[in-house]
Amino acid sequence: MIEIEHLTKRYGTNVVVDDVSFTVEEGTLTVIVGTSGAGKSTLLRMINRLVEPSAGRVFIDGEDTRAIPEDELRHRIGYVIQGYGLFPHRDVAANIATVPRLLGWERRKIAQRVDELLDLFQLDPAEFAHKFPHELSGGQQQRVGVARALAARPSLLLMDEPFGALDAVIRSKAQDDLLAIQRRLGTTIVLVTHDMNEAFHLGDRIAVMDQARLLQHATPAEMLMHPADDFVERLVGTAERPFRLLSLAKVQDAIEPGEAMGEPVAISDSLHDALSRLMWTGRDALPVADARGVILGKVSVGGILQHGRPLP
Amino acid sequence: MRLASLVRLISLLLLVAFIAMPQAFAFAFEPLVTPGAPAIYNQGSLFSLTLQHLRTVCLATIASTILAVSLGIFVTRPSGGEFLPLSRSLVNIGQTFPPIAVLAIAVPLVGFGEKPTFIALFLYGLLPIFENTLTGLTQVPTQAMEAARGMGMNTWQRLSQVELPLAFPVILAGIRLSVIISLGTATIGSTVAAKGLGEVIIAGLQSNNIAFVLQGGLVVALLAVLIHDGLGLIERAAARKLGRFVDEVS
Repeated sequence: MIEIEHLTKRYGTNVVVDDVSFTVEEGTLTVIVGTSGAGKSTLLRMINRLVEPSAGRVFIDGEDTRAIPEDELRHRIGYVIQGYGLFPHRDVAANIATVPRLLGWERRKIAQRVDELLDLFQLDPAEFAHKFPHELSGGQQQRVGVARALAARPSLLLMDEPFGALDAVIRSKAQDDLLAIQRRLGTTIVLVTHDMNEAFHLGDRIAVMDQARLLQHATPAEMLMHPADDFVERLVGTAERPFRLLSLAKVQDAIEPGEAMGEPVAISDSLHDALSRLMWTGRDALPVADARGVILGKVSVGGILQHGRPLP
Repeated sequence: MRLASLVRLISLLLLVAFIAMPQAFAFAFEPLVTPGAPAIYNQGSLFSLTLQHLRTVCLATIASTILAVSLGIFVTRPSGGEFLPLSRSLVNIGQTFPPIAVLAIAVPLVGFGEKPTFIALFLYGLLPIFENTLTGLTQVPTQAMEAARGMGMNTWQRLSQVELPLAFPVILAGIRLSVIISLGTATIGSTVAAKGLGEVIIAGLQSNNIAFVLQGGLVVALLAVLIHDGLGLIERAAARKLGRFVDEVS
């Protein structure tokens, strides 16, 4: 758990981060979103003390970060930046091994960990371990960047626009991969982006910043239904709201008893996907199946639409 | 590529053969001398003069490298930034001051022999290494540095594991330039009685023996070409590993 308390950064009279407080629960993904220059990156960099706060404190699992030596603190926190900053003179394996080597792990243990991570990120060790960063595609570099950050099994991962340099197709795949890996490892992640879609796609909680201040820290659904002010409402996108809500809800939430014709939708799909299928096939309802293909009921256009507006 | 390796090999063999058994090449130089004069330098061993020459150049370059690289590192640190203009002008003075003038000043202070030559070469060799160290260190991608800090590398680890390896090909190019300049300049050391290939040239000039001048000049030139080439190979290999290509600096 990370507790951020009254964190403030001033450069002279210029306040970059103004009295920000929020808590990140263990194993969740929090997205800090806002326009450029809102202070998101500075806030993130104060967590691993790349930027020293002017005031306020950060606690990681109850421990004040100021009490931990800087380098030691950073060994314990994964860090991924836009452009990844892979070391051009080191091959993929050596890049991933950076922090374990700094920590003085045994050679065998390092090699084992590198292979494990390459597998986790779907990079064949035989092919990729000894490639140099300039021989990799953007998507592969991104994966190596995240693998390197996770090498010493940090419980916290900080990511600053980690998908910013990827094109749209690879980006959405990379986002899904990150979610899958996060679920699997249970790593706590704080991610900075300016892309609202990314925030809604990834975040268990979203923190909206503007002009150095934290405007709202809430779950995506709360933020859609009760935006804290006009700025958040604009950022969320008024016209997008019903669709974002449908993206957040699962078929499970709108399942009704009864039968329907057609190809079943999966119970774990989002309502957004289910509605899209209904519209495309021109049906009013479709059957719902679980992972094994057993039909559990149906989902209808009317039922789905009810989830696209705030509850009374 | 193969042709280049062949030329390299032939030049090397030629050089080694000549300094080891110069008499075998007498036939080539005989047409240049007046009848009765020696065609091959006969006032000392070419082999030991070559070694002496290389020794002086080597020591001077090592000393310049140590100072110039340390200075380059120092002025690229946040604490040393304000010394950059001062260091630059000092190093520039070293380059603009003619080596022969340095010899003239150094001899009364340290005496005749290798020492004044060493001082002249040392000062003369600083600039290219210093400037290339600066270029190399400031070219390190900021993202790699940010990542290094973010992963908890301390200042020394960042310097030794990220900055210097990345700057290495550029620094090496500076060292190469400095070595080549020194190899040629070292010949004037013989005017102050330093052992070296300059002796052969000066002996030739004094006795009006063109063959001697040519022999001294050729050995220095071949050494320069071969060393330049060899260091260039290492440099390109290092740069290729980084995925970039350095232009030939000559």
